[in-house]
Amino acid sequence: MTTDASQTITRIAEIIINELKLEDVTPESFEPDLDLVDEVGIDSMDLATIALVLRDEYGIRIDEDDYPKLTTVRIIAEYIDTKLAEKE
Amino acid sequence: MTNSNKTKEYKFSDIIAVPAIKERFEKVRKYFFMRESTYDMSNRCNIRCEGCYYFKGEKQFARENLSTADWKQLMEAEKERGITFVVLAGAEPSYVPELCKTCYDTIPLGCIASNGLMMLPREIAYRIHISVWGNDSTSLEIRKAKDMLIRQMDNYQDDPRAIWVYTFTPVNIDQAREVTETLAANNQQITFNMFSAPVGYSGHLRHTPETLAETRTIMTELLTEFPETVIFSPYNIVSHTHEKGLHDLFSCSYPRMNPSTDIGLGRSFRQYRTDLQWDRAASCCVPDTDCDDCRHYAAGSAVVTARMYRHATNPLHFSAWLDYVDTYLAVWVKGYEKGDNLCSELLEPPEADQ
Repeated sequence: MTTDASQTITRIAEIIINELKLEDVTPESFEPDLDLVDEVGIDSMDLATIALVLRDEYGIRIDEDDYPKLTTVRIIAEYIDTKLAEKE
Repeated sequence: MTNSNKTKEYKFSDIIAVPAIKERFEKVRKYFFMRESTYDMSNRCNIRCEGCYYFKGEKQFARENLSTADWKQLMEAEKERGITFVVLAGAEPSYVPELCKTCYDTIPLGCIASNGLMMLPREIAYRIHISVWGNDSTSLEIRKAKDMLIRQMDNYQDDPRAIWVYTFTPVNIDQAREVTETLAANNQQITFNMFSAPVGYSGHLRHTPETLAETRTIMTELLTEFPETVIFSPYNIVSHTHEKGLHDLFSCSYPRMNPSTDIGLGRSFRQYRTDLQWDRAASCCVPDTDCDDCRHYAAGSAVVTARMYRHATNPLHFSAWLDYVDTYLAVWVKGYEKGDNLCSELLEPPEADQ
């Protein structure tokens, strides 16, 4: 994993922790392959809120149809990287 | 707010930096945990209404399961899989108060859809939606029941669980004022629903572009004149009287129209019949509705609410969305107090790709 990718993962984890007010976990200790729906308990409204914060942070649009695919922090990071690459 | 903020690009953080918007967003997001499913409680009803959804399709033929033990087991299983809000409906739940109480004892957040002619015990502290389809003369004609509004108000006088749901049809638009005035005089609340045709229905209750426009006008008047009585918002009015139905406008997220099982309603929503069975292909808030004609208040409560992202493009649209969600919570959650509407404009809903 590159430093940039690692930073993206850590930042996404930080956003999720802040938005969901998760306790007993830090951005560094957040397991990037945890299933956000099954293992963290995120629902669609949580994910929409996180998507809006990510939109602000990275200047990308997340299509509504893409929500269901964003099931882990790592997948979200890869999605963001792809979107950023498309913008360049 | 001016129209200029519809074209400027806003960050979400800028939108919620507006104090009134931030306050409302923080208020409604406390309820984002709500995950609903619906349950047909009884296959009996004491009236027969033209255009009734329950008595369409196969669900009306399911046998009744009257075992409180089975219902308790179902509710415990529902709670276990994350359901936090139950909607008890079809045909008439007040026939089985003991089953309603069993549901309430396990999942204490919910709502009962009733015709209001038999009072549900106060110990079942769910919100109660009492259906009204016009003045008592029209109710007699369409629902074959005498003095409906009077009897409903007798049963639910000074009962904070109750809210009347006025279903607009092409034949009762002009009666909404009379009903609203009566409820206002009795310190009751009302919200609005739109008749949405059941599958195969081609009768005179199906709305036309003209009746949708007429309904929009009277809804706007009543919301303005009876702000303490009418639980609604300008964006509710637009969303439910638009020539396009809810699915066309917002892409319905109930399983019937949404193949995804990954997250949200497509994942968790179930519609149980009276035999405690459910069928994903038939699951939505009002089964057997013609999806192209669906403007149900129940559908909108979930479908519009789920589209937060597309409304978060400017303060005006986000305010309108917040008004809608604030309304939905006030209608469905007992004790939730609706705030003043933030957006007074009749805004066109945003496109999905905006």
